[in-house]
Amino acid sequence: MIKKTFKIPDMTCSACAMKLESLEDVLDGVKEINASYHRLEMTIEYDDSRLTEEQIIAAVRKKGYTAIGA
Amino acid sequence: MTSKQKNTIGPVVIVVLGVVFIAIAFALIIFQPNAQSLNFNAGSGAWSQFLVAFVTGITTGGLSCLAVQGGLLASSLASQIEQDYVTGSARHKKGQAARSNSAYPILLFLLSKLAAYTLLGALLGWLGSYLTLSPMTRAMLMILVGVFMIGNALRIFNAHPIFRYFSIEPPKFITRYIRRTAKGTDTFTPLFLGALTVFIPCGVTQAMMATALGTGSATMGAALMFAFVLGTSPVFFIIAYLTTELGARLEKFFMRFVAVVLLILGFVTLDGGLNVLGSPLSFQNLTRSLIPSNSTPAPVAESTQPAADAGSIVLNVNNDGYFPRTLNAPADTAVTLNLVTNQTYSCARDFVIPALNYYELLPDSGTVQVGIPAQKAGSQLFFTCSMGMYTGVIVFQ
Repeated sequence: MIKKTFKIPDMTCSACAMKLESLEDVLDGVKEINASYHRLEMTIEYDDSRLTEEQIIAAVRKKGYTAIGA
Repeated sequence: MTSKQKNTIGPVVIVVLGVVFIAIAFALIIFQPNAQSLNFNAGSGAWSQFLVAFVTGITTGGLSCLAVQGGLLASSLASQIEQDYVTGSARHKKGQAARSNSAYPILLFLLSKLAAYTLLGALLGWLGSYLTLSPMTRAMLMILVGVFMIGNALRIFNAHPIFRYFSIEPPKFITRYIRRTAKGTDTFTPLFLGALTVFIPCGVTQAMMATALGTGSATMGAALMFAFVLGTSPVFFIIAYLTTELGARLEKFFMRFVAVVLLILGFVTLDGGLNVLGSPLSFQNLTRSLIPSNSTPAPVAESTQPAADAGSIVLNVNNDGYFPRTLNAPADTAVTLNLVTNQTYSCARDFVIPALNYYELLPDSGTVQVGIPAQKAGSQLFFTCSMGMYTGVIVFQ
């Protein structure tokens, strides 16, 4: 399990954070996602043998946001 | 996975339901002139508050709430639709499938939300009554609400990162619980989710909740939140029905409009708070000298009109404010201010002289006398209604 933080510069309200956290239910190998509109970032704890950074970035893009690896 | 659904609810149903909501809204407006039958403390001032709440809901609140709660509703609907029509492991729900039978759960969701927020309004108003809101407390609360609204508007404009903190993030366990619940597939789900929206209020709703707290009355708080959420409902219903995708587009399109309205409402609330504080810095008090005042008192009921003499001044308290708005009084001597009401039901009856810490709910018809101690020449004594809407000043010469 690794923990990684992404900057999400295009969040516009706390609902965006909720939307991003819902990726927990979509992505395989995710233990927890914490997104914060206040800090414009998303921290994800995941199994890197089942999920890659590129897949996370792509999933975030599908939700309508841009994830930038810290 | 493009199974066509025949038994869809057509646009007619949307229109009918929309019309029902709007009809209720119009009823609220139409019955406004007969407000005296509703004996709230602030009389028809209460109705104007409800009207403002309703208009706020229908203009900005619906879109703002949709931005926060729309996804939740959509996921609930998706579950319902999936249960009804799509079995198995269907994951992509779009287009025709999303239109099936969705009016009913949206309606349940909105009704539940309306009930939950009305109860919340009652609770907030009740809590507010325990705070025993003096005009000063109310003024401070209004200023806080105004600042909160302005902060939220500036947040939407992305003016500075600091304004992001005006958006309250619900605790993680609540958002997670709501998200998990949204996956439920029974008919109870939309009802439950509608009620849960009280935990994820949008910025405009939060501002309205603070206003409900400021009413200091469970009835007023409940009615205020009811009017606001009722106002949000038609927009919410129509847009929610027309799929989440359209909602997202509209959100982007209207957010700036929302921010502008919020900014205006914020400044109006802030100004009202400053008026109740008796601040000479409020917009109305700053611009009073620029706007010609009506110095002739409006006619009042003869039986209640006291005769003005050297040590006595008369102020007519009408439904549309105080007349004259600028009163002249002799300096260095105590004067009696006669407050004359004649079938006055507006919030002008809630009369406040902040500098004297004087607050009185005037009778709807009659005269109330206020003893004003001697004031220095050139000094001013501001007066206002308890909502900071109607103002005036006594100038001592």
